[in-house]
Amino acid sequence: MSVLLEARALEKQYRLGGGRVLHAVSDVSLQVHRGEALALVGESGCGKSSLGRTLIGLTHPTSGEVLFDGHRISGLSDRALRPWRARMQMVFQDSSAAFNPRRTVGESLAEPLRIHGRKNIRARVDELLDQVGLARSVADRYPHEFSGGQRQRLNIARALVLGPDLLVADEPVSALDVSVQAQIVNLFRDLRASLGVACVFISHDLSVVRQMADRIAVMYLGSIVEEGDGLEVLDRPAHPYTKALLDAVPRPDRPLPPPLKGDVPSPVNPPSGCRFHTRCPIAQPKCATDRPSLQPCGEGRRVACHYPLVA
Amino acid sequence: MGAEALLDIQNLKLDLPDGRRLLEGVSFQVQVGEALGVVGESGSGKSLTAMSVMGLLPGLRASGQIVFAGQDLVGLPDKSMRKLRGARIAMIFQDPMTAFLPVRSIGAQIDEQIRLHQPLNRREARARTVQLLGRMGVPDPAMAAKRYPHQLSGGLRQRAMIAMALSCSPDLLIADEPTTALDVTVQAQILTLLREIRDEGAGVMLITHDMGVVAQACTHVAVMYSGLVVERGPVRDVLDRPLHPYTQALLAAIPPLEGPRPEQLPTIPGQPPTPENRPSGCVFAPRCSFVRPDCAVRPALIETEEGRRVACVLYAA
Ligand SMILES: Nc1ncnc2c1ncn2[C@@H]1O[C@H](COP(=O)(O)OP(=O)(O)OP(=O)(O)O)[C@@H](O)[C@H]1O
Ligand SMILES: Nc1ncnc2c1ncn2[C@@H]1O[C@H](COP(=O)(O)OP(=O)(O)O)[C@@H](O)[C@H]1O
Ligand code: SF4
Ligand code: SF4
Ligand SMILES: [Mg+2]
Ligand SMILES: [Mg+2]
Repeated sequence: MSVLLEARALEKQYRLGGGRVLHAVSDVSLQVHRGEALALVGESGCGKSSLGRTLIGLTHPTSGEVLFDGHRISGLSDRALRPWRARMQMVFQDSSAAFNPRRTVGESLAEPLRIHGRKNIRARVDELLDQVGLARSVADRYPHEFSGGQRQRLNIARALVLGPDLLVADEPVSALDVSVQAQIVNLFRDLRASLGVACVFISHDLSVVRQMADRIAVMYLGSIVEEGDGLEVLDRPAHPYTKALLDAVPRPDRPLPPPLKGDVPSPVNPPSGCRFHTRCPIAQPKCATDRPSLQPCGEGRRVACHYPLVA
Repeated sequence: MGAEALLDIQNLKLDLPDGRRLLEGVSFQVQVGEALGVVGESGSGKSLTAMSVMGLLPGLRASGQIVFAGQDLVGLPDKSMRKLRGARIAMIFQDPMTAFLPVRSIGAQIDEQIRLHQPLNRREARARTVQLLGRMGVPDPAMAAKRYPHQLSGGLRQRAMIAMALSCSPDLLIADEPTTALDVTVQAQILTLLREIRDEGAGVMLITHDMGVVAQACTHVAVMYSGLVVERGPVRDVLDRPLHPYTQALLAAIPPLEGPRPEQLPTIPGQPPTPENRPSGCVFAPRCSFVRPDCAVRPALIETEEGRRVACVLYAA
């Protein structure tokens, strides 16, 4: 599998008032292969969305670079980025916001095709609706006439219009009921199989992630702390934070272990050493002073911990 | 069930002025020290049921019975309802911002809630507020009380709201999706809290769409679909051996966190009906894979075994 997207030492900082700087993404390097599904997981505020948006050029990184198909796209002007935009698309959680309420969904889907001078627009819209499992006749209806699940299908259709190589989906199923969620999860699987489109899924739901992703990257306070094959990471977590996240998922078959202590520290003043040391149940003195780097740990896995749970 | 229930809802119906029926007949009980999980798809009537118990649905007509501690709340005058709310029945919501005013510290708002129902002066009320916040696991509770809602993290705000709800030691706590917006780590803390509240003898009604949450925090569960309870019983029984085809389908649609990864997740075809086009027979019939001719008559919620009820012809005597 060849590399489609690569991030090198990405940093994303937000300047707050009073000279304070928020470190939303720190030193993230990762690769997404063609047709692959990578999931970014972690607690709210850990930088998943900031990373996702930086990866596809919706925001500029503070430093570091993003390569798409071997070309550097970070730092390009909006104009220079335009030809690449068609090849990377974003699917958002709030599925109602993406469509103009006063236009039929067919018109909205046709618009990017027209802007990019494509031909056979009607046929393409029909094809898209087929792909996302909606009747072709819905093209004549307005956004408010659709249920949450149907709107998410439309939203995916919109992202697919120009035939992208990569979708970045930010919490694509978290607003949906379980039964609808299952339909959309299946749809993403089908689309990846039939179109070969690569996906970066951002989600806080580990069972959804396990179902959707080939590989997962766990983030804590802006950095990747563990990365590897999805089933491997979730079945045998190597980083104490990954294990804590899994332990906190309520399940029918076992009582909840004692919760992780404390809240996520502020990304304005992240802790010294290992950023997880203030909450880590197995922290040692070294953890407070030495920051562990992301090191290989077994087959295709990387982990940033001085004392990983699996070797 | 023996002893008189803390909350006993019988055949609760709720109508819009235009005649549309939003709740079709909800029945369940909550006993002292029990937590009832209410689950079901969006729009199935979970929040409406909760708001009916709170008496917070102006403009909608309720019929049936909501008996709380021996008193029927349906048709109770506003004034009496207001006395119960906050003092004996309290509610927490998914978004704590709806419970707090943005312009006052959370401590001031909890103090006020306490003094509304108890003859305490400011100092005594604040002492109780700080004690409550501490019990909820809020670090440095005296400082936290002085903060405005937007200055707290989501998890701390949620704990502050629970502190406010518990300030008068209610007999019944209603929680509508209290952890849906929270991270699993914070959710775990809140679920542990809800368990303690129950152990101390309050009844809890917990609305959620997460079966894991139900398993962790509840003793019983009621499954709602299209304005009706279609199945209810002890949590372990219902989760281990769901009877109603809807409950079965709902559980099957959850992606597994362990074991083999299925190619495709089982799904439920179609969508739930709107109140206008609710079928006259079994409400789940258009989506049910077991449907048969006698499903055209609405099945009643009947007891199939001790403590378990299901509304489905497959289990009719
Ligand atoms: N004031 C109202 N006027 C008209 N219809 C209403 C009103 N309030 C609720 N409904 C409808 O009643 C049904 C039940 O609503 P309710 O809010 O109780 O659902 P819920 O089970 O809590 O769903 P969710 O999981 O989305 O919170 C829905 O079809 C809803 O659209
Ligand atoms: N435009 C912005 N200005 C300032 N801070 C921001 C902005 N966007 C995000 N942040 C902050 O950056 C951190 C990471 O945010 P985000 O990427 O949205 O996290 P996640 O998606 O993991 O919840 C958070 O602390 C968030 O508050
Ligand atoms: S480096 Fe230390 S504090 Fe960080 S996760 Fe590993 S054991 Fe815990
Ligand atoms: S009554 Fe019939 S349609 Fe309804 S759930 Fe049972 S088998 Fe299915
Ligand atoms: Mg986000
Ligand atoms: Mg609701």
